[in-house]
This record gives sequence, C-alpha cells and structure tokens, in this order.
Amino acid sequence: MTSDTLPPKPKRFLWIWLLFAALVLILIARNLEINFTTLIWGYQDIIEYFSRYGRPDFSEWRHYSALMLQTIAIAFWGTVLAFAIGFALAPFASLALTPGKISHQTARETLNFLRAVPDLMLALIFVSSIGLGPLPGILALGFHTGGFLGKFFSESLDCVPHGKYDAIAAVGANFPQRVMFAGWPSVMRETAGYTLYIFDRNVRMSSVLGLVGAGGIGLELHDTLRLFNYNQATALILFLIGTIFSIDYLSTFVRSKLK
Amino acid sequence: MKMTLMATKTSIWQWPTLSGRPPLLAVLGPLGVVLLLVVSANLVEFSFMHIIRSGRPFIDFMQNLLVMPDWVFMPQLLTKMLETVEITLLATAIALVISFPLGILAAKNASPCPLIFNVTRNLLSVIRSLPELVWALVFVSALGLGPLPGVMALAVVTVGFMGKFFAESIEVVGENAVEGIQAHGANRLQVIWYSMLPQAMPDFIGSLLYILDHNLRAAAILGLVGAGGIGYDMVMSMRLFNYNRIILIVMSIYLLVTLLDRLSVRLRMKLIHGQAREALQ
Repeated sequence: MTSDTLPPKPKRFLWIWLLFAALVLILIARNLEINFTTLIWGYQDIIEYFSRYGRPDFSEWRHYSALMLQTIAIAFWGTVLAFAIGFALAPFASLALTPGKISHQTARETLNFLRAVPDLMLALIFVSSIGLGPLPGILALGFHTGGFLGKFFSESLDCVPHGKYDAIAAVGANFPQRVMFAGWPSVMRETAGYTLYIFDRNVRMSSVLGLVGAGGIGLELHDTLRLFNYNQATALILFLIGTIFSIDYLSTFVRSKLK
Repeated sequence: MKMTLMATKTSIWQWPTLSGRPPLLAVLGPLGVVLLLVVSANLVEFSFMHIIRSGRPFIDFMQNLLVMPDWVFMPQLLTKMLETVEITLLATAIALVISFPLGILAAKNASPCPLIFNVTRNLLSVIRSLPELVWALVFVSALGLGPLPGVMALAVVTVGFMGKFFAESIEVVGENAVEGIQAHGANRLQVIWYSMLPQAMPDFIGSLLYILDHNLRAAAILGLVGAGGIGYDMVMSMRLFNYNRIILIVMSIYLLVTLLDRLSVRLRMKLIHGQAREALQ
C-alpha cells in the first residue's frame, strides 16, 4: 500500500557522469604520458629518495632566519600594496556604491585583469623589466592579490543592508562620504579578515618568489636542491613549514576572533 | 553669513563619533602598519630612488611587448596550454578522491574521535603550508622533468586545501536533519551519508570550483621548475627576450583564466544562491 502513495524515485545520472569523468581522466593521463603503475613499482626508490631528507642540517640557521624575515617582509609590503589597491578600487567596483556604470565596469575589469595573471608570472615580468631584488616581488604580490582584495571588499560592500547607504545619502552625503561613513565602517571586520587571509597566502607565495629572482628564501631552496644538498634542503623546508604553519594558525585564530 | 557657512562646512567633515574625534583604532591601526613598514624597509631594500629609476626600464619593456605575435609558435602554444589544463584537471581529480575521506575525518561533527580529528586537521595544515612550487621542486628532483611531478605536487597541495574546505562545509550543516536521521536509529556512517553530505554538497562544489580556478593558475607556473605546462615556455622566452612569444603566452593565460573565472562565478551563483542572486550579479 505504501508503495502506491510514495512518489516515483527521481532518476539519477550520477554513475554515468562518474564513468564519463573517469574516461576523460584516463585519456588525459594517456595524453600526458603519465603511467602511475611505474610509480607503484618504483616504491622502493621513492622511499629511498625521501629518506635522503632525514638529516636536517641547521648549521646556517642565522642565514636562513634572515632570508625568512625578508620573505615575511616582502609578503607584508605586498599585502599593504594590495590593501591600498583594494581600498581604492572596491567602492567603484561595488554595485551598491558605485557613482556610475562606466566607473563600475572599469574598476571591475581592472580587478579581473589583476587577478587573472598568476603572481609568479607577474614577478617574472617585473624581474626582467626592473631587475632582481625584493621590489619586483612586492609589486607582483601586491598587484595580483590587490585584484583579489578588491573583489572581496566590493562583494562585502554589496552585502551591507542598503538602508545604510540610503540613509546617509538622504542627508546629503556625496560619494566619498558614503564610502567613508557608511561603506567601510560596516565591513571593517570582514575587511580585516580578508586582509589577514591574503597576508597568509602572500607569505606562502613569497617563499617561492626567489625562484625567479624576486627575493626571499626561494632561491636558496632552489640552489640547494639543484646541488643535491638534501640536508640543507630539509632544514630550509622545515623552516618554511614552521613559519607558514604558525602564521596560518595565528591568522586563523585572529580571523575566528573577528567573526 | 560667511562664518556660518564655514561652520557647517567643517561640521560635515567631523568624525561620526560622539566626541567628534577619530576612534582610537582608526589612528593606531594605520600608525602601526606604517611603523612596521618603516622597520621592514631595510629588509626589502626599499628606496624611492629605486622605484623612480625603475619606471623607465618598465616602460621600455612594455613597449617591447607591442610587437607582432609570433604566429608560428601558435601550435606549440596550444599543445602546451592543453597540457596545462590537463595537469589541472588530473591533479584536482586525484586530490578530490583523496580529500573526500580526509575531509570527513577532519570535520569536528563527523570525525569518529577527537584524536583522529586533531591528527587529520594538523596533517592537512602541514601539507598546505608548503607552496606547490616547493613540492614541485622536490618531485622534479625525484622523478625528473615532465608533467608527472607537476601533477603530484599540485595534487598534494590541493588535498591540503580541499580537505580543509570540505571539513569546514561539513561542520556548518544544520543540526535538525542530523538529529532527524539519528532519531530513526541510523548509525554514524548513515548519518554522515544521508544528512551531512547532502547539506554540505553545494558549499563543497563551490569550493571545488574555486580550487579548480586556483589550480589552473598554479599549473601555468609549474613549468618554472620544469614540471610541465606553459610555464617552461614562458621562462624560456623571457630569458631569450622573445617578446613576440611572451605576449602570446600572457594573453592566452589571461584569456583562459578569465574564461574559467566567469564560468565558475556563474555556476557558483546557481549552486549556492539559486537563480535570484544571479539576476543581482
């Protein structure tokens, strides 16, 4: 009796989709000439290889700490630049606050462009145009993550109850006043949270900027691995893990307090 | 008359606090940031002269980019771009399979015991803390050049991120459905499968799209260390100053990333907020 009253079971095509996905992935692996079975057969070599990372050599820890500090400083400067870009562009990119359609589109497309080019590629471009050093790294991180922060900020500004904007506009506030007195104060917490998240991400990224000559600890790691100095490479990797892990933990903690 | 006008002018720009003075945080925050910037200026070798002197070479470089693209490079570019996309898809799929169970173990309300929860969570954190390129460096020196180390490096880092996102989307599911299923005598696995996963799914697909987006960008630069994809060609043309190739590579990466970005924004809006929100966008 119950089977008569129940509605028909919805048809599901999940299995077909999964099969299709598996097929595509196999074709991709073929095309890339990747053979995972060799990986499985070579497990002894793999274990042997990773055992070379067993003896960290911390004898040059002073040098490493200096490099790590520089890495964090690059990330910090990059984040400040990114915040400045986001702070300047987000009110224009936000639909609720923007003074006009053209400025809205321009700001949004600028942010999209900044986001689209990967930061290491930007660093590569800056290094070959203005030379080696931390400055191209800061610029690359700042411009790339500025695109992200601008987008995040403008989305938060859009989510503010529109009554606040209407209220302050009704007493005769112009665009900068609406932004400064209704916009930013309403999204302060989220803004701080996003900026911390971006700083966290920038520390991670700035540790590899050295690969293209843009300062920080990355170049040292690259060189030690090139020279097969596994002991020093292990020390560097442990340094990196420790620093990034603690900054990640700290920023998560502060962000959870902000909410 | 003039005096009152002045008075109203100044009163408009008062701070909207009771005392009319700026709040303490609005003064101390920027001050602290500026202080930190000044302190760390030495570390990043900051100097205004350097920035001013950099203007000229940068403009020169940009002018050099305005050349006729090297169309002969086009077929190679397309194969390399395809390779980049393939690395992205394969790595994301592998990471998806691995992070699915790890995510369940790392969610506070779905994990079988606090010990497993803590271990998995911290494991994911440690995996996450090394950037893709460091993993790629290690895997390249282990497995040699080619897409395989790239796929593995990307997959490892993605497991760290996806596991965390998945755990977080499980942790915020509503209690009602969970209690409802428990009331019918469901065991732990059934509770997870029938009440937690369906609720966490839209959120999770949203983060999957975000990760796909991020991985495409990461795959584009894996080639820097010889781990496959378009990055290698980018570095090589940069070293040889082949501006007519650089412009093609940068433009194609920009187009591909933008395309995926737009697509994923559309999909995410549909998945998370339904049709109504999309109209707003």
